[in-house]
Amino acid sequence: MGSYELSLVTLAAIYVMLALSLNLITGFCGQISLGHAAFFGAGAYAAALLTKSGWPLAPALVSGAVLAAAFGFVVGLASLRVRHDFLAITTMGVGFLFIGFVRKQQGLGGELGLSGIPDHGLGPWGLAALTVTLAAATAALSLHIRRVWAGQAFAAIADDEDTARALGIDVMRYKLTAFVLGTALAGLAGGLFAHFTRFIIPDAFGFTVSISILAMVIIGGIGSTWGVLAGAVILTLMPELFRFINDYKLLLYGGLLLLVMRFAPGGLAGGIAALTARLRGAT
Amino acid sequence: MLHVELTIQGLINGSMYALMAVGLTLVYGLLRILHVAHAGLYTLGAYIAVLIANATGSLALGAAVAIPVVGLAGMIVYRLLYEPILHRPPYVALIASIGLFIVMEESYRLIFGPYGETFNAPYLAERVSVGPIGAKAAEVAMVAGAIVLLGVLAFLSKRTRFGIAWRATVTDPAMARAFGVDTIAVRYANFFIASALAASAAVLVAVLNNLVEPTMGSVPSYKTLAIIVLGGLGNVAGTLVAALALGVIEAFGTIYIGHLLDRDAIAFLFLVLVLMIRPQGLFAAR
Amino acid sequence: MTALLEVEGVGVRFGGIQALDDVSFALAEGELLGLIGPNGAGKTTMLRAITGVIRPNPGRIRLAGADITDFSTDRRARTGLALTHQIVKPLRAMTARDNVALAAGHAKTTNVLAALFAIDRTKELARADELLRLVGIENHADAMPSTLPLGALKRLEVARALALDPKVLLLDEPLAGLNHVEAARLADTIVDLNRAGMSIVLIEHNLGEVMRICPRLMVLDNGRRIAMGAAKTVMEDPFVRAAYLGREAGDAAA
Ligand SMILES: Nc1ncnc2c1ncn2[C@@H]1O[C@H](COP(=O)(O)OP(=O)(O)OP(=O)(O)O)[C@@H](O)[C@H]1O
Ligand SMILES: [Mg+2]
Repeated sequence: MGSYELSLVTLAAIYVMLALSLNLITGFCGQISLGHAAFFGAGAYAAALLTKSGWPLAPALVSGAVLAAAFGFVVGLASLRVRHDFLAITTMGVGFLFIGFVRKQQGLGGELGLSGIPDHGLGPWGLAALTVTLAAATAALSLHIRRVWAGQAFAAIADDEDTARALGIDVMRYKLTAFVLGTALAGLAGGLFAHFTRFIIPDAFGFTVSISILAMVIIGGIGSTWGVLAGAVILTLMPELFRFINDYKLLLYGGLLLLVMRFAPGGLAGGIAALTARLRGAT
Repeated sequence: MLHVELTIQGLINGSMYALMAVGLTLVYGLLRILHVAHAGLYTLGAYIAVLIANATGSLALGAAVAIPVVGLAGMIVYRLLYEPILHRPPYVALIASIGLFIVMEESYRLIFGPYGETFNAPYLAERVSVGPIGAKAAEVAMVAGAIVLLGVLAFLSKRTRFGIAWRATVTDPAMARAFGVDTIAVRYANFFIASALAASAAVLVAVLNNLVEPTMGSVPSYKTLAIIVLGGLGNVAGTLVAALALGVIEAFGTIYIGHLLDRDAIAFLFLVLVLMIRPQGLFAAR
Repeated sequence: MTALLEVEGVGVRFGGIQALDDVSFALAEGELLGLIGPNGAGKTTMLRAITGVIRPNPGRIRLAGADITDFSTDRRARTGLALTHQIVKPLRAMTARDNVALAAGHAKTTNVLAALFAIDRTKELARADELLRLVGIENHADAMPSTLPLGALKRLEVARALALDPKVLLLDEPLAGLNHVEAARLADTIVDLNRAGMSIVLIEHNLGEVMRICPRLMVLDNGRRIAMGAAKTVMEDPFVRAAYLGREAGDAAA
């Protein structure tokens, strides 16, 4: 593999982490978030500032995740106060607030962003191996959560909050847990991203990015770990592999979002499940 | 003096928000859809107006074509996109709408180019002043346009049979149907009116800035969502107040907290703060 | 007999409507209490105040001596209050068995951290099967709720409520929408549960079944408690006849 291929693998792994982390919040727990890139950004900025001030990579990445999770906890608390339609707009607002704030902070490089982020020292192979391992761990965690009791409780909340409460499920704590887990992983992905590109600007964490992450979840199949994983890989690699698509990347994301929601809300995973069911029925 | 000017500037922007947000809140009130693509229709209105105005030399003709055409486009969006997915959970329509908005913006960029169009001859650029207070004619037109259009809308909804049927449907669709209101026709009319209002706002903004660009809908799109939440989703009067208030708060905010926060983020700061104190919005729905 | 559930001076107001006005009652351990009253009397509102979906103002609610008025709905469920809804509310994305098993696992879902590690569901699935058998829908265990008839869904609600191992079971019109054979069968199930020691509050419009199975009745009308006592005496009460039977005696007797 050349360094270009390695960088594609790294990027895809970062997006897999991001999409799976949003899937924990939106897919498993049913809480729509239109501002996930803000947590990605919080982790990226925190980790970058720390390594720039001399910290080693590992503690910087962990601190980025912790900071993003703390931010996620606060947003989660806020989201408990609002319901359904309001939540989508509140999380979107948090996303705009985040970049609106970062743009104006000289300490964070303002509009120009942070450059000169130190070399991670792992080499292209090392970084690719690290991100792929972490993405695989995120997928394993997702599959695990689906199997445990907490996964059942999340599913109940996504289905009908009031009924979940009547069954003794502490909806508030579960939602906060989903937010904290999901945003911590997004923050970790952010730290990796910052050290992968070694240069970050506020717009790398804006609304368009939040929507792109959401597109991966929706197109892959909301709630399905394998579907979301595939969605993230396909949507990240397609514009890179077919260069002519690159200029139409947003058009592609938007169009797919539109078509999936209109014709196949189960996404890729839902489509494949329906197809295998039909094939089985036919034989 | 600064404060007076900031207030006026805020009210001008607030008028534009009001024209867009009223349509959005009506769509929400009727169908519980967060219609993000509303802003895509808005941009469409501006493009139609600028292209026709430049081809024929008449802005009036441009506006006269743009407004009804965008109204029809709104009806088509309802028919082809929303109607088939109304029975699904609300996030489905929201995300589909975001998808459509992105597709529209990208299409404008690919078809008309990224740099935007200007009018061959700028309209309403002269300044008018009353005593020490001055404003561009286009700015006066914006405020006057909002007052007239929303005034006419309010009048029609109170005084005509259709207006009454419309309000009844927004309040309680099942009851309205029981009284013989054709609620499907009401939905189409609602999309027509909402989209036509957005197009009117777009023409005014295009004239004011003498610029029509593919992304001109982005900022209003998300900001008007904040406004209709603040106004108490589905509440028209609340939405008007929230639109004007936000215009003014932004104008002051840019001066006083502009060094801390981007102008476009001020709306959301306001939104998040208000929701923490009053989760149902500034004005609860009805 | 000691009171298990005590409702004290509960009032609930919705805008201009006084849905409940200073209502008090007590449910004894092991009792089956019928709660009746015309449409809009405030019966569902009373259950919602007890389970904490709405907050009474004023009023206190005590369960087994502990004041639970300030508890959240989920905490009340864990403290021992289970409810079946007038309009069935199954979790649509899981099978009937999983619906019941989730409720049976209430001890395992209480602590979020522990729930992130606990996988084993054997005990709860077995308990779910046992309860589905008890309410007579064991053959629907693997069905998704959307494919089940209303009668089965009503029973699923009861099974799921029982899976919470409640101290008190609150049933909101479990018989509504069932034909008379189904209704009589479910009513018998309710009696069996009560004989086995379960304390129950039963809201029901089907007066025939209520008279048959409930020894004691409370009557609400316009948010007020207008009668309480042995079923027969209550039904002969002139106030009750005026407020309630006057309107509905015809179909109740049928
Ligand atoms: N959420 C609410 N908002 C406003 N009014 C309500 C609400 N819930 C109930 N009410 C009103 O309170 C009164 C009592 O309603 P409730 O549902 O408790 O009656 P009920 O006795 O259960 O009637 P039914 O036998 O029809 O189920 C009614 O007038 C009803 O319209
Ligand atoms: Mg009721």
